[in-house]
Amino acid sequence: MKAAIKGEGLTKRYGKRKALDNFDIEVPEYAITAILGPNGAGKSTFMRMLTGLVAPDSGSLTVLGERPSWRQNRLVSYLPDRARWYQGQTVESAIEWGTKLLPEFRRDTAWELAGSLGLEADLETEGMSKGQEARLMLTLCLAREVPLLVLDEPFSGIDMISREKIVLALIDAFATRRQTVLICTHEIAETESLFDHAVFVKDGRAALSGGVEELRSRSGSMQDIYRSLYG
Amino acid sequence: MNEIRVGGMRFALDLSQPLYEQVLEQVRSSIAKGEIALGEKIPSVREMAQALKINPNTVMRAYQELERDQLTETRRGQGTFITTDAGKVSHIRHRLAEEAVTEFLGRMNSLGFTAADIASILKAKGDGAK
Repeated sequence: MKAAIKGEGLTKRYGKRKALDNFDIEVPEYAITAILGPNGAGKSTFMRMLTGLVAPDSGSLTVLGERPSWRQNRLVSYLPDRARWYQGQTVESAIEWGTKLLPEFRRDTAWELAGSLGLEADLETEGMSKGQEARLMLTLCLAREVPLLVLDEPFSGIDMISREKIVLALIDAFATRRQTVLICTHEIAETESLFDHAVFVKDGRAALSGGVEELRSRSGSMQDIYRSLYG
Repeated sequence: MNEIRVGGMRFALDLSQPLYEQVLEQVRSSIAKGEIALGEKIPSVREMAQALKINPNTVMRAYQELERDQLTETRRGQGTFITTDAGKVSHIRHRLAEEAVTEFLGRMNSLGFTAADIASILKAKGDGAK
């Protein structure tokens, strides 16, 4: 099993506070890995390191064998935790934008995804619900045929139906293509059955990590583990 | 736990136990109960993963195990089918019956019944049912 992402001893201080404190992580190739933990555990700091926006004070990090930087944009599809749209943008113009500007973007795949996620072409981004925004962002993210997908909080603050649609779209995309998927989330209900591998982050450290099936047989569901770690 | 039906088979998954074993056991038991017929096509990995809302790798692992036990066979370009060999199905039925009996005996023993007690209880039940 090769690692698509490997971080060793990652530490990042903000003033006196350590956002990450000797954090170790391995994200296996061709699997769905979840980084789990409550707000403030250090997940977002790690996500920013992955995109090269934040450099660790110490420790090493490789993404697909390289140090993270903007150059990896052609290999990594990143779903940000909040949306930004142009004025007057619609589902259709967002997909056109993706076709022109995003590396390895597949327009046909994007339209299929938009359809299965229940997004009409002329729906305007202005006035979209949070769930619709999340589904459009996911459409743009999953339509790229790149080796690594990184999804930052794809389920938070959205309605149950949108969440279920997103889960199904992820299953479908993952079954069709061989990609490595990393999901950072604090929402485990209805999503934990998606994960192959989990990393629980607590106080900037990896408190527990491993194959989800092995964790289940040892300690129960991811929700059980989450409660016992953070409850 | 909600029951989900996929192509005649029934599933109820418990997230606190390994999912791969549950999918495997539940397909086996569907075959034993005849919920899915000999030679019938089973859903693709993708369809099964979608229906159960679980990771396709988990379904794949269960399917590989079924194939190794020769309960299913994959025909190139056509999909995966339940075996047409009735002997294999009868074999799992017996295995499942044995597991059920072992579980039953374990429970009776923990309640303090001896083998002789259990036999007489079963006989009385059997006589009553006639």
